[in-house]
Amino acid sequence: MPQKRISIRIDGELVSTVEGKTILEAARDAGRRIPSLCHMDGLTDVGACRLCLVDLGGGGRLAPACTTPVQEGQAVITNSPRLLAYRRVILELLLTERNHICSVCVANGNCELQALASALGVTSVRFPYRYPNLPLDLSRDRFVLDQNRCILCTRCVRVCADVEGAHVWDVKGRGIYSRLISDLDQPWASAASCTDCGKCVQSCPTGALAEKGKAVEEMVKQTWQVTNAAERKRAVL
Amino acid sequence: MTPIADIGSFNAAREAGMAKLQPAAPRIGVGMGTCGRGNGAEEVYRAFAEAIEAHGLDIRLAAVGCFGACSEEPLVNVWIPGQPLVILRHVHSADAARILADVHQGRIPPDLAWCKIEEWDHITARIRYGAGFPELPQWSEIPFFHGQKKIVLRNCGLISPDDIDEYIAVGGYQALYKVLIDSRPEMVIEQVKAAKLRGRGGAGYATGLKWEFLAKAKDPSKYIVCNADEGDPGAYMNRNEIESDPHSLLEGMIICGYVTGTQQAIVYVRAEYPLAVHRLTRAVEQAREYGILGPSVLGRGVKFDIELVEGAGAFVCGEETALIASLEGFSGRPRPRPPFPAQKGLDGKPTNINNVETWYNIAPIALKGPAWFTETGSARSAGTKVFSLVGKIRNTGLVEMPLGTPLKTFIYDIGGGGVGECSIKAVQTGGPSGGCIPLEMFDTPVDYETLAQLGSIMGSGGMVVMDENNCMVDIARYFIEFTHSESCGKCVPCRVGLDKALDVLNGFTKGAGNSAQLALLDELGRMIRDTSLCGLGQTAPNPVLTTLRHFRYEFDDHIIARRCRAGVCDSLALSPCENSCPLHMNIPRFLGLLKRGRLEDAFESVILDNPLPASTGRVCQHPCDMRCRRLTMDAAVNMRDVHRFIADSILLSDHFDAMVARVADRKLPPTGKKTAVAGAGPAGLTAAFYLALLGHDVTVFESKREAGGMLRYAIPEYRLPKHVLEREVELIRRMGVKFEFGMPVSSAISLHDLDEQFDAVFLSIGTWKESWVHLPGTELKNVIPALLFLEGVASGSVSQIGRRVAVIGGGNAAVDAARTALRMGADATIVYRRERKEMPAIKEEVDAAEHEGVKLQFLSAPHRIVGDPKGNVRALEIVKTRLGEYDLTGRRKPVPTAEVARVECDAVILAVGETIDLDFARGSGLTLRENGTFVVDRFTLETSRPKFYAGGDVITGASNVSNAMGYGKKAARRMDEALMGVKRFQRLSGGFDASEYEAEPATEIARQRPAELAPAMRVKSDAEVVVGLTRGQASAECGRCLRCDVRA
Repeated sequence: MPQKRISIRIDGELVSTVEGKTILEAARDAGRRIPSLCHMDGLTDVGACRLCLVDLGGGGRLAPACTTPVQEGQAVITNSPRLLAYRRVILELLLTERNHICSVCVANGNCELQALASALGVTSVRFPYRYPNLPLDLSRDRFVLDQNRCILCTRCVRVCADVEGAHVWDVKGRGIYSRLISDLDQPWASAASCTDCGKCVQSCPTGALAEKGKAVEEMVKQTWQVTNAAERKRAVL
Repeated sequence: MTPIADIGSFNAAREAGMAKLQPAAPRIGVGMGTCGRGNGAEEVYRAFAEAIEAHGLDIRLAAVGCFGACSEEPLVNVWIPGQPLVILRHVHSADAARILADVHQGRIPPDLAWCKIEEWDHITARIRYGAGFPELPQWSEIPFFHGQKKIVLRNCGLISPDDIDEYIAVGGYQALYKVLIDSRPEMVIEQVKAAKLRGRGGAGYATGLKWEFLAKAKDPSKYIVCNADEGDPGAYMNRNEIESDPHSLLEGMIICGYVTGTQQAIVYVRAEYPLAVHRLTRAVEQAREYGILGPSVLGRGVKFDIELVEGAGAFVCGEETALIASLEGFSGRPRPRPPFPAQKGLDGKPTNINNVETWYNIAPIALKGPAWFTETGSARSAGTKVFSLVGKIRNTGLVEMPLGTPLKTFIYDIGGGGVGECSIKAVQTGGPSGGCIPLEMFDTPVDYETLAQLGSIMGSGGMVVMDENNCMVDIARYFIEFTHSESCGKCVPCRVGLDKALDVLNGFTKGAGNSAQLALLDELGRMIRDTSLCGLGQTAPNPVLTTLRHFRYEFDDHIIARRCRAGVCDSLALSPCENSCPLHMNIPRFLGLLKRGRLEDAFESVILDNPLPASTGRVCQHPCDMRCRRLTMDAAVNMRDVHRFIADSILLSDHFDAMVARVADRKLPPTGKKTAVAGAGPAGLTAAFYLALLGHDVTVFESKREAGGMLRYAIPEYRLPKHVLEREVELIRRMGVKFEFGMPVSSAISLHDLDEQFDAVFLSIGTWKESWVHLPGTELKNVIPALLFLEGVASGSVSQIGRRVAVIGGGNAAVDAARTALRMGADATIVYRRERKEMPAIKEEVDAAEHEGVKLQFLSAPHRIVGDPKGNVRALEIVKTRLGEYDLTGRRKPVPTAEVARVECDAVILAVGETIDLDFARGSGLTLRENGTFVVDRFTLETSRPKFYAGGDVITGASNVSNAMGYGKKAARRMDEALMGVKRFQRLSGGFDASEYEAEPATEIARQRPAELAPAMRVKSDAEVVVGLTRGQASAECGRCLRCDVRA
C-alpha cells in the first residue's frame, strides 16, 4: 500500500515525510538528530527516557518524538532553551541514580549516556549521588550484568522479547527500586530461557550489559547488527 | 427469579421492591457501608435482628448503604408507615432495644433523631414517605446537607445495595429500558454530549466524545471499562458509591454498551475494597438472574455482560493505560498515548474507560435529558461532583455539590469549620496529584478549569482540610513520599526526579536545606510535571509547586530560621510547647528541674529564656497550652503558672540578690559595642537584658517615667502587681542596663543622634495610639479610649469613671477596662459585635470578668452614643448583628439587623485596638507598611536603615506581651551576630546538666489550678486576683509533663 506523503515543519523547516512515521524518524530523515536513549532502531518504542521530547507548538505540552506519529501540518520544535534544560536535568538524574563512573567502565568512550551528556554539556550534576550498592551478575559464561550502570531503558527487555523471542529480561519492583531481572529474578546463568545470543548486550546503551573479558573502554556495542536482525525478522513476518 | 422480558415482569419487580422499601410494618435501615461498619454498624444490625427475633416484632430490618455523614456514624433510618423517614445518628447496639420499643409504639427516640425525609427525589423516581414529626428538622435544613444535590448519591443510604428489587423500585433500570425501547443509540450519545458530562476521574474529558469514538470504532470486539481503582489517600467516593448503590453503576455501563455497540465490560476494582467487590459481585449476579445482563438485556436482544477484575492496589493503575496493562496481565506500567485506548486499548481493541462516578450520571441523563442535567453546575462543568471532605474539619463525610460551588461553602457551611479552636489554612484537592489552595482563595469556585488555574486539580474529589497544626512543607513531603513509592519507575523524570525531590524535602523538614535547593526543587518540579510519561508523574509535583507558590514563607521558615511553626517537623523543635512559645523557653527543662526540687536551677533556666517570667507568668496568652500533648489525655500542663511560681519564689524572696549575681556571672566579657534600645516595654526590656548578657553596653530610652510599657501602664494592678514588675526590671538593671527615662525617641533624641552614638539600635516603641471609632457622639465628655483610661488609672491620674460604663471591644484591653471600672465602683458592660468564642481576649480573663459582674453583650455593634445637651453621655445605642457569611479569616461576618437597643450609661470606653503613632513612624524616615508599621526583614529584624532593628508591636501592630518579647530576644541575637560576626547567643544558656532533669513517667493527676480571690472580694480592691500555685501544686504539676523533648 503506497503511503501518503505529508508535510510537517521541523524547527521551522518544511519537511516532507510519509504518514505513519514518528517525529523522531521524520526528523532524522531530514538530517536532524533528536537526543534519545531508550529508542533503538528496530525495537518497539516505549517513550521512557523522555530525552526525545519535542514541543508541538506554543511552548505547551511536550510529546516524545519516538512515539508520536507525524501529522499533516504539524509544527515541531526539537530544540529550545526549555527542552535543552529539561534534557540536561534528565541526564543529571540518570547520572546520579546509580554509579556511572566512566573511568572504570567497560563502555567508556562507547557509551550513549556519556556521549549525550557530553554533547549536551552536562559537565556537573546538582543532585546528590545515590551511590546504591547494587550487585553484579557474573554468573553467565560470556556476559556480565552490572546493575550499577543500568538506566532501565529496557532495550534489552524488548530486543529479547520481540526479536529473539526469549523474554529473559524484565523489570521488577517499581519507582526508584526498579531492577532489571532475568527470568524470575534469578541469576542469569540459571535463566533457562536465555539463548546466549547476546542481542541484549549489543543493544545496551551503557556498560550495564557487557561481554566478559572486556577491559575499560573495550566494550564497543554492535547495535546496528541487532537492528538488522530486527528488520529482517519484521520483513519475514 | 425469572428474567424480566417485558414491561409486565419489570413492573412486578418494581412492586416487589416497593413492598420491601415501604412495607406494611415499620422498617429500620442500618447504614452498612465500610464507614458504618468501622463505627460498629454490624453490632447495631445484629442487636436489632436479635431483639426483633426475641420479641417477635413486626418490624423489617434492612442493611442499607451510607448516607454520607461520616462524623455522625453509625446512621440508622427508621420508617413508620405514613410517617417521614427519620435518620438517627450515633446509634449504638445498646440503643437497639429502646429504638424498637419506641418504633413499635409509633415513636422515634428524640435524643438520637437527627433529621427527617418526607419525600426523596431519587431522580429516577420520587418516593413519598409521609409527613409528621414537626419537631424534627428536614434533612436539607441540617448544615451538612444544606445545598447538597444528590444525583450521583441519589440512592445511597436509602435502599439496600444487595437487593435489585429495591433499586428497581426507586426507578432503577428504567432509563435502560427506555433507551432500549427507543432504540436510537446515537441520540443517547448526543444527549450525553449535550449534557456536558465530563469524566469524574479527574481529567474532565467529555464523556460523550469518548463514547462517540467507541461507537465509531469498527472493530467487532471492543471493551468498556469502569475504573474503580480509587487510590488517593483520603478519598473514598467510589467505594461508597459502589457499596451503597452498585446497580446504578451497572445501569450506566449497560446503557453505554448498547449505544456504542459494545458487548463486553470490565469493572477494575481495588482488591482493598472487599465490601465493594462483594456487593458488586452480588449485583452482577442479580442482574444476570433478571436478564439485565446476559445474551438478551431485558429481552431486547442486546448482548452485554460485565466481568469484575480486582486490582492489586497500585496507585498508577488508576492511569488508564497502566490499568489496561494490568488487565492484560502485565505489570501496571503506563504506555505512551497515542495510540489512545479508544483506538488501541485492551488487547489492542478499542476501549472506553470511565470513572465510577461518571457512570452514575448516565441513567439520570438518559431519563431526564441534558437540559435538566445542565441546570445544575457551572457553565463549563455541568452536574454535581462528590467530594470526600476529610482532615481538620468538624463535619467529615461525602458531600455531593453542584460544580462551581465556592470552596468556602464546603469548608465552613457544610464542613462546619475547623476542629476545636484551630483555624483552617488550606485545602488540598485532588489527592497526591492535586495542590494546596490557601485560605485567601477559598472564594474559588470548584470546577475543572478554576482548580487547574490554581495549580491544583479536581482529581477524583478528595478534599483534605489543613489547619495551623499542619506544616505545609511536611504535607508536600508526604505527598511526594506517596507518589515516589507509587511511581512505576518506567520514565526517568518520575522515577529519579521524585527521588531527588523527596531527598530535598526530607532535608527541609530536618532543618538541612538552603535557598539554592529551594530553587532547584522548583525547577525539578516543573521538569517532572512537563516531561513525565503519564498522569502520575505529570501531576506528582503539584503539591510541591502549589505549596511553593502559596506557602513560600513556610519553606523560608524551615530553611532560613530552621523553624516549623506548626511543630510537625520534630527535628526543628525541642517540644511542641517550646515551639509554640514566642520566647522558645525550654519548658521541659524548668519543669524537670523544679520537679526534682532544684528551684534555683529552675529559676536560672527560666530567666535565661525569659527575662520577665513573673509578668508573663500572669498575663501571657499561653500558646503552649494549645499545643501541649497532654491535652489529648486530659488537660494541658499548666506551664505558665509553674514559671510564675518559680519566678515569684525567687524574685519576691531574699534569694533575689544571690540569684541576680548568679545570672550576672553568665555575662560574656565586655565587647566595647554600644547599643541603644528605644522603648522600655516588654520587647525593649528583653532585648536590653540579652544585649547586656552578651557583653554589650546598653542604654534604654523611654518616654515615660518608668519601665514596663504596656505591662506597667495598660495591664491593671489586679492582674500584674507593680511591685512584681519592678523586681524584674531591677534584675535587668543589675545586668548593667542603663535607663534614660523621659526621653522619647525623635523628640528628645533623634534617630540621627542614635545612629552617631551607637553601634546598633533596637526600636520597640510599641503601639500607643488608640484606634478611634467613627461614631456620632464620640466627641462627648466621658468617651475615653481604653489605653488612656488604663494608663490614667495606673499612674493615678484617673480615679473615677462614672456609675455605668459601656466598653466597646472584645480584646484584653476591653476586659481590663471593664474590670478596672468595676473596681472603681461602676457597673460595666462589654459590647462586642461577634460571639463570645471569637473574642480575642484571654478566655480565663473573660470568665473572671463575668464572675465579677461585668455584663457581656454579644452580637452588638455600636451605633451611636447618645448625649444630653450638656455634653454628657446618656446611653450607647447598639445595633444587634447576626452572623452572616464566612469571611476569609474563617469567622462569620457580623451583619447588622434592624434591631436597635440601648445600653444606659454615663461613660463609654473605646477598646477597639491600638495602632502605631503614625507621626513618629512617618518622621522616622524608615520604610513603612500601609498601616504604619515598620518594614523589617522577617528573619533578621533589620529595618530599611542600616544598624536599626525593630520588633514588637511596632512591626506587627498591637499584639501581646510574649510575642513582643520574642522579637526582643530575636533582635538581640541578630544584633549580636551582626556586631560580632559570630553566633554567640547559645553560649548564654549552656551549663545545664541534663541528668538533673531526666524524664520520669508522667503522673495521672489532674491539672493544678491556682487559687483565686472570691469575685465579691476582689472587686473591692486592687488585690491580685490569681494567687498562684502553691509549692506543692507547682511541683505536682511538673510531674504531669510527658517530656516530649526526650527522643528515642
